[in-house]
Amino acid sequence: MAAIFGGLQADSYDRQYSDGYLFKRIGDYLKEHRLQVGLGIIGFIIVGIVTSARPVIISTAIDVMVDNSDFLSFLFVVLAIVAITEYIANYMRRRFTVSVIGNIVARMRKDAFSAAIDRDLAFYDTHKTGKIVSRITSDTQEFGDVMLLGSDVISQFLSVIILIFVLLSYSIPLTVVLILTMPLVVAAALFFRYLARIVTRQGSRAMAVVNDNIQESVTGISVAKNFRQEEMIYTEFSEVNKQSYEINLRKGLVIALVFPTLNILSSIAVSVIVWVGANSVFAGIISAGTWYLFIQGVDRFWFPFMNLSSFWSQFQQGLSAAERIFALIDAENNVNQVDDKKVIQLSGHIEFQDVDFAYVADQPILDNFSLDIKPGESVAFVGHTGAGKSTIAKLITRFYEFQDGTILIDGDDIRSFDIQSYRSRLGIVPQQPFLFSGTVLDNIRYGRPEATEDEIMEISMSIGDGEWLESLPEGLQTDVGERGARLSMGQRQLVSLLRVLVQKPSIFILDEATASIDPFTETQIQEAIDLILSRSTSILIAHRLSTVRSADRIIVLSNGAIIEEGSHEALMETNGHYAELYNTYFRHQSLSYVENAKEMFSQAGD
Amino acid sequence: MSAEFIVKSPITTNHSNAFRFILSHIARHPVAAVLLVIGAFSNAFLAGVVPQLIGDAFDAMVNMNEETLGIVFNIILAIIASQALRSVLQFMRNFSAQLFAERFERDIRDELYSSLLGKSMSYHDMQPVGEIMARVTNDVREMNYMMNPGFNLVIGSGMFLIMPALFAPTIHPQLIIVPLLFIVSHLCVQVYFILRLHPIAQDVRASFGHMNARLAESLDGLQVVKGAAQEDGEIHLFNGLADRVRDKFIEQGEFEARYLSTLLFGLTFVGALFHSTTMYLSGQLIEGDVIAYLGLITLFQFPVFISLFSSSRIASGYASADRILEVINAETDLDQNTAGHTGEIQGGIEFDHVNFNYGTGDDVLTDISFKVEPGQTVAIVGQTGSGKSTLTKLINRIYDTTGGTVKIDGVNVSDWNLQSLRSQISIIEQDIFLFSRTVAENIAFGMEEIDMKSITAAAKAAQAHDFIMTFPDGYETVIGQRGMTLSGGQRQRLALARAFETNPPILILDDSTSAIDSATEDKIQRAIWSAAEGRTTILITHRLSQIRWADHIVVLRRGKVVAQGTHEELLESSKSYRRIFAQYEEPVSDESESSEPTQTVAGD
Repeated sequence: MAAIFGGLQADSYDRQYSDGYLFKRIGDYLKEHRLQVGLGIIGFIIVGIVTSARPVIISTAIDVMVDNSDFLSFLFVVLAIVAITEYIANYMRRRFTVSVIGNIVARMRKDAFSAAIDRDLAFYDTHKTGKIVSRITSDTQEFGDVMLLGSDVISQFLSVIILIFVLLSYSIPLTVVLILTMPLVVAAALFFRYLARIVTRQGSRAMAVVNDNIQESVTGISVAKNFRQEEMIYTEFSEVNKQSYEINLRKGLVIALVFPTLNILSSIAVSVIVWVGANSVFAGIISAGTWYLFIQGVDRFWFPFMNLSSFWSQFQQGLSAAERIFALIDAENNVNQVDDKKVIQLSGHIEFQDVDFAYVADQPILDNFSLDIKPGESVAFVGHTGAGKSTIAKLITRFYEFQDGTILIDGDDIRSFDIQSYRSRLGIVPQQPFLFSGTVLDNIRYGRPEATEDEIMEISMSIGDGEWLESLPEGLQTDVGERGARLSMGQRQLVSLLRVLVQKPSIFILDEATASIDPFTETQIQEAIDLILSRSTSILIAHRLSTVRSADRIIVLSNGAIIEEGSHEALMETNGHYAELYNTYFRHQSLSYVENAKEMFSQAGD
Repeated sequence: MSAEFIVKSPITTNHSNAFRFILSHIARHPVAAVLLVIGAFSNAFLAGVVPQLIGDAFDAMVNMNEETLGIVFNIILAIIASQALRSVLQFMRNFSAQLFAERFERDIRDELYSSLLGKSMSYHDMQPVGEIMARVTNDVREMNYMMNPGFNLVIGSGMFLIMPALFAPTIHPQLIIVPLLFIVSHLCVQVYFILRLHPIAQDVRASFGHMNARLAESLDGLQVVKGAAQEDGEIHLFNGLADRVRDKFIEQGEFEARYLSTLLFGLTFVGALFHSTTMYLSGQLIEGDVIAYLGLITLFQFPVFISLFSSSRIASGYASADRILEVINAETDLDQNTAGHTGEIQGGIEFDHVNFNYGTGDDVLTDISFKVEPGQTVAIVGQTGSGKSTLTKLINRIYDTTGGTVKIDGVNVSDWNLQSLRSQISIIEQDIFLFSRTVAENIAFGMEEIDMKSITAAAKAAQAHDFIMTFPDGYETVIGQRGMTLSGGQRQRLALARAFETNPPILILDDSTSAIDSATEDKIQRAIWSAAEGRTTILITHRLSQIRWADHIVVLRRGKVVAQGTHEELLESSKSYRRIFAQYEEPVSDESESSEPTQTVAGD
């Protein structure tokens, strides 16, 4: 089910708020802008009054022009004032509405973002960032759009209500007739909304097929060119393109029908009013001017009803967008500190005492786990996938909450620290090294923004004589692109390691990348790692033989327990679990493998 | 225009500028265009009839007698009849506009797509896929919207703008004054607002894009943010971006709120009422005339209401047309050279003082010279960005050199028939692309016929058969469907199978996969080693074992050859090459039993 309903299904942190609560909460946001809301409402009311004033003035003018009184010139002045007032009031209304909505949307975005950035990393294991991003940007956007739309519809309804009172004061029966034509419009609008939704969906699907086709051929164009298959993929494209044209034309047919139909209905309504009104005039109940007033009233009446019925579902969507935003803001964290001791300096002594941890209840990853890492020691964790290597790092970084036992850092409970000051003493390089768009320089000093360019340059040159910098077109000033996409994996890894070197942390945590890296860059990465190891307590989740070998102690994990530990040589000697892991994961990284390759594969190749 | 691929029956339009481009597309559908204009005109015309009829009804009412209600009834019938006719015509207008819009979209997309196919790889390599997709999806869509609702409403509402000026003089010639004044001033306001609004709207979009991009990045890199304790910094940054979006949004709203045409319309009404009642009092008009005239002025409401929307559609459509033309008109320097040299490639490759740049900035490759004998394996090594991939792309003319020559079997590659050249060279790129087809079709891609026997043999040689058989439908499994994803190593072996199937004399392999476990590494090695056998092979590889045993190694640094030769020669001559192997000197004692060649049976 989940796969089918992809984007539609709710997330676990979603909750149901009552409409009343939602409105109250939206109201709280509105309260911050009382003055502007007030000014906007004044604009609304004035617009409502003056727009219904115009037809009244005109029909009065028609009635009095027969008498040629001074009253007529008075009406010109009034009409001019109405025109100017309407413009100013409309400006006020829009100006303040837009500003209120702009501010509320920005406020919501900020609240949602600081909530999102505060969430535990565990939260992001279960919730894709893409969906959270869309809550912060698209949902708030949608909410704002709906508010704007809503304010327009409210304004139109205000005019209609005022108009109804005016009309009632002229003729009650004629007003009733006018109101009775409404169901016609609403029904037509609802019907078209229903039809349009179906054909639009089909149209979008056909479009998506075309876009997928193009995406694929543009991405794979080098293959098509290498094999000279342009003709074939063009034919395929041409077919889906035509198909999309036909389906969308069908959609166009439905859409093209909307206004003509509403026009016929409108002319029928006008005719009804003309007829009933003419009879009333004939019977002497109303004046000819009043009759004309009602005829003018028809279109004004229709518009808001048409809008409301076509936008009703959008209002619903706006509310659920607000609900999704609030749910994100209200989501709760698991990792909680009990104290907020500021961390200034650490020596890097790490102790795990009988720690229990499970991502999911009943599936323990660590059970009664104990470990002591001395200050300055470097420890490499090895083991099969799921052995618990990265869990240990995640607990030390305090990204996840453990359920039982104690973790002591320099003898203090890890829960007693102020989390930010504690983390600023850690240097972390994740398995997928991540860079932010900006320059290489900015990225290197990300954890210590006050570091000078000279300082960064010096550190950069200390690795491989700065050879890696050569391959960057503008050296430290090179733009790394979004997520660092313009740099190779190896370069990203190097930048991440330099980031740690600049930060000078007490504890270094490396989740080594598995990507293939050119041997030149790799040598420099190794140099950087060695430099950090010599300075900090180091936790290495190693995938490279060279990294494993450079650790002071290798810990072999299996099912969350330590089954072997010691140096590479000692462990190889015992020929136990480590030797088996070596044969599985590290054998091909050894020099003997390289040297024997020809012998192994050249003849062995069948 | 020269291109690598030309569609047989292309759509021919004028590409000199956006205006002519749009015009030439419109000219392709004259019938729809005429129907659109006729529909729009008669729609507005019949809308203008209603006020006249109501004026007539009013006259009848003013001079009431027994026949009055009968007259009014006839007028009502006339209103309904005229509006029914109007609806038909309006439908014709709308549908012609839609037809136009869809054809526009279809044709322009077709044109753009075929031009993309015709572009050389040097063009495609410089364009991010996202960038091209934005052209083909959003910009082409904008062209659709430019026709409908854009042009449709501009023409449609334009007719409503004209109608009062056409009808009013039929009541009395003097009555043309107020409508004319309105039309002129409205058009001025319109031009001013569109010109000002366009850049504001673009700012709004751009600021939103920035906010979105940074937000996604912050959350994707949250581990780094938290790890470096930079939450406050990120919040500060995001708040700044959100504020910018807000400011731009309010700026746009504020500007739109000032839209002057609404005021003009209000004042026009005052003028119209004043003018018509004055003429009434002087006896030049009767009551019904005043009513009809005021009704006509009301027609202006539609253009006032819709103009800003419809003209901004056209403005953005025009901008899109510019961007589309930019792609279509981009020069592509390669042509098929059908008259060129054809023949069976033996596999000798020679780079002779080759220079290359992308047409902008410095040389990416400088003075590259080396020679490969048929059947040899050459490893190209160097840091990322040193020019390795670019170098290989000169061999099958994905790019053309900007200096020096690349020769295959002694013939300059630019003298080869492109078809003959490319069909004999297989390139396996770093990002291996597989089509959403079956595994078998992917392996046989480019072949006339699918021969399952040879496909299976190729897959076996590429060490791909075992994992293919673990797929639900084996060779008939469609790639990318039902969440079936392949690892980089698996993709590479499928690409190698493709190469075994086509059996080219020259194979270029840009290898960047890495195996997590040694057993998989064994398979990849075996596949590459046997692929290299019996043909000239150019390897861009990170695998030391491949480099170690290559017949010839070329070391690139910043686009220059800094060293070349065999492994032994390079250990002598190159410091950085030596450094790579120096790392390993220590563990030579590593000759443990486990490093013996292990027979691997485990599938992956």
